[in-house]
Amino acid sequence: MSERKIRPLARAEGLVVRELPEEVLVYDLDTHRAMCLNRTAALVWKSCDGRNDVAAIARALRAEFGAHVPEEVVWLALERLSRDRLIAERVRRPASLAGLSRRDVIKKVGLAAAVALPVVSAIVAPTTAEAASCLPTGSACTAPAQCCSGACPGAPNGTCL
Amino acid sequence: MPPLSLAQLLAATLEGSWRAEPTPAHVSAGELASVVPMLVGSGAAPLAWWKIRHTELATTQAAHELREVYRYRTLRAAIQEREIEAIFKLLARANVEAVLVKGWAAARAYPEQGLRPFGDLDVCVRAERLEDARRALDAPESAGVQVDLHAGFDESDERGFEALHARGETVRIGEASVRVLAPEDHLRLMCIHLLRHGAWRPLWLCDVAAAIETRRDGFDWSRIDEGDSTRARWVACAVTLAHVLLGARVEGTPFESESRCRLPRWLVPEVLKQWETPFPASQAPMRYRAPMRDYVRRPRGLWRDLLSRWPNPIEATVRVGGAFNELPRWPFQLANCFGRAARFLGGSTHAAADSRMKNVLTRGGV
Repeated sequence: MSERKIRPLARAEGLVVRELPEEVLVYDLDTHRAMCLNRTAALVWKSCDGRNDVAAIARALRAEFGAHVPEEVVWLALERLSRDRLIAERVRRPASLAGLSRRDVIKKVGLAAAVALPVVSAIVAPTTAEAASCLPTGSACTAPAQCCSGACPGAPNGTCL
Repeated sequence: MPPLSLAQLLAATLEGSWRAEPTPAHVSAGELASVVPMLVGSGAAPLAWWKIRHTELATTQAAHELREVYRYRTLRAAIQEREIEAIFKLLARANVEAVLVKGWAAARAYPEQGLRPFGDLDVCVRAERLEDARRALDAPESAGVQVDLHAGFDESDERGFEALHARGETVRIGEASVRVLAPEDHLRLMCIHLLRHGAWRPLWLCDVAAAIETRRDGFDWSRIDEGDSTRARWVACAVTLAHVLLGARVEGTPFESESRCRLPRWLVPEVLKQWETPFPASQAPMRYRAPMRDYVRRPRGLWRDLLSRWPNPIEATVRVGGAFNELPRWPFQLANCFGRAARFLGGSTHAAADSRMKNVLTRGGV
């Protein structure tokens, strides 16, 4: 099978996925990484059913956005999705596109394009967003009342049981 | 007009944020940026993002931070549902009847689960089954899940586990049947819980507002008044606080009339004072530096830690069973401290100690 006939398959196991109106959120239960796929990346990912090749995925994007989408955009997305372990098997772009940069793709797509370049970003959220009323097992504690178990051996430099 | 305090800005940002389509926040980009740490630290960041997401503020750096938390919490909510499913399957396998309160149960009233973050799962079981529940949860399936097991319902203990469990309802999460309280009982529990902890977390008041505004037809307000009348008045105060501070709609409720709970003048300023530092580390018991018994051997730092144990007036009022009125709060705070000291020195139960102090206060006319 030629490189251009690759039929990528989205990884399904070990992921928690939430679809929002403008983006798709993915949590990798193996690596504990939270990611955000913009609309383009999400569409490419959803099109990776093991049957669509790159040309078919590009057509799917075209149908969705109502604008011409070059295959380079799909390759860019696949490479990024693959790097983030969201594709079942490693995807490498063909040798003919090896030197292609995001800037090159922007030039090709055109600045006024209706299609955003595919983006997969890591979600970085402070852990203080947690709203627990007590500390879980293994947390550092200074008094027993802080722990869910009510036990903080070694306090004031203890660890919740 | 004087500039709003940070706590007032926090309230303005969260006003109506639990609704599917909240009205835009009346805060500037700079004001929003100034309260981001408080929103993030108190668990209210997703709600703040929800409130501003369709406004000009949505493109600011402050909004970006809030949105990241919203995204993360949306995913966490999905993961936590799996955890709840696992926990309730384990408990069912051990024939332990359990009820899920606060956290996920409160989040059901919001447009999206991720808007109401929670850290641990508050699971209530019969006191006599507590050890069975602990053993059941000591399984690989529950590894890493933060479960806060309660013997009965702390905030509604006077009603008894049986009665509350019986009139609760069952919801499905995956393959698990999860028992939650009836909406009336849960509202009552959330109101008392927020006051019992000094109302320091704005999210708790949002919970009350969301529960009221999403109540179903046939919501039985008379259940709020069942039993202890003092507790019923606490609920009225909490609902009125949600109305005054966050704009909760109380039309059609018994709390529409101000006479049901005329808030004492000190209460709203006190809540806003708590909201100036709405971080777990700033609140009891997380701010305690060491267990009291340590100071018996080594008293250095005792005075400072005693000061950190001085209860806030709201918490003290509830813990000694007092009423929210215009009387000074220091007797309640003192009573609460004596109760805790008695428990520490005599090994008596907290409840018994507080009950004794309540009797003292009642006899003294407070």
